Amino acid sequence: MTQTLEFKQIRDLDKALIDSHVQAMNADKLTGRWTNTDPNTRGMSEITIERIGERFSVSARGVGTNRPIDWLAKSVTALANLEEEAGQRSIALAADFDFGFMKAETYLRVNKGVLVIVLFNTFKDQSGRTDYVTREFFYRRD
Amino acid sequence: MEFAQICDLVDPDTMPVGPMDVSALPGVWINSNPETNGIARMVMSEAAGRLSLQVYAIGPDGLIDWGVADVQAYGSAPTARVGAGFSCRFDFGFAESFLQGMIMKGLLVLAELRTFKDKSNRADYFVREYFALEHKRF
Repeated sequence: MTQTLEFKQIRDLDKALIDSHVQAMNADKLTGRWTNTDPNTRGMSEITIERIGERFSVSARGVGTNRPIDWLAKSVTALANLEEEAGQRSIALAADFDFGFMKAETYLRVNKGVLVIVLFNTFKDQSGRTDYVTREFFYRRD
Repeated sequence: MEFAQICDLVDPDTMPVGPMDVSALPGVWINSNPETNGIARMVMSEAAGRLSLQVYAIGPDGLIDWGVADVQAYGSAPTARVGAGFSCRFDFGFAESFLQGMIMKGLLVLAELRTFKDKSNRADYFVREYFALEHKRF
């Protein structure tokens, strides 16, 4: 029996996506503990990515006034990264954080050994701050 | 003022006043890759202070119109007054695309996070592409 696949762009029909499980892809380049390349960052100082079975967790430390502030993603989605590196299909992650007063919708990927996170931050309080996008870079700690 | 990273702790005197200037976003954005098999062209429009995005993607017989979605604009900092990025969501029933774009030196870097909701057993995917704002200056 053949199945007609719905699509909204040719890319949706990429053979590499069909019967392909992101969970089966190697995530060794992504998992681990990562440190911000900028020692003076006023954003995230550290990110930890763990894989437990088919699930991923993303936690981070934000730079605070007296001590670090813990971040823990409330949802993490693993995605096949179509930007192949050295011919290898890799994994990118979408991770959402919610602090009540602010949410951060992020994506993370590794590019040539550097972990890149792009954050789209939305303030939900009435503080008047502007929602903003930012990007940070991390090197592998272990 | 609550914050989860110190860069979000803003002096109230530096707080932005008035609506964000999003004039860098509207226009026709063209994929830099003529061989793309994804989004070819995007039209960002502004009306009554609201942004919307219409997407055209590569299909087997020409461009596929995704229709129009509401856009959320972002600055580059909590005190910024100028738009530097956006996000929007297209829901097709069988799949959903979450688009996140940021402008760097006039170039729009667009991340597409595609998740399938049907039973096709396709892998959700991520792709980044570059778009230039069509202009008639040169």
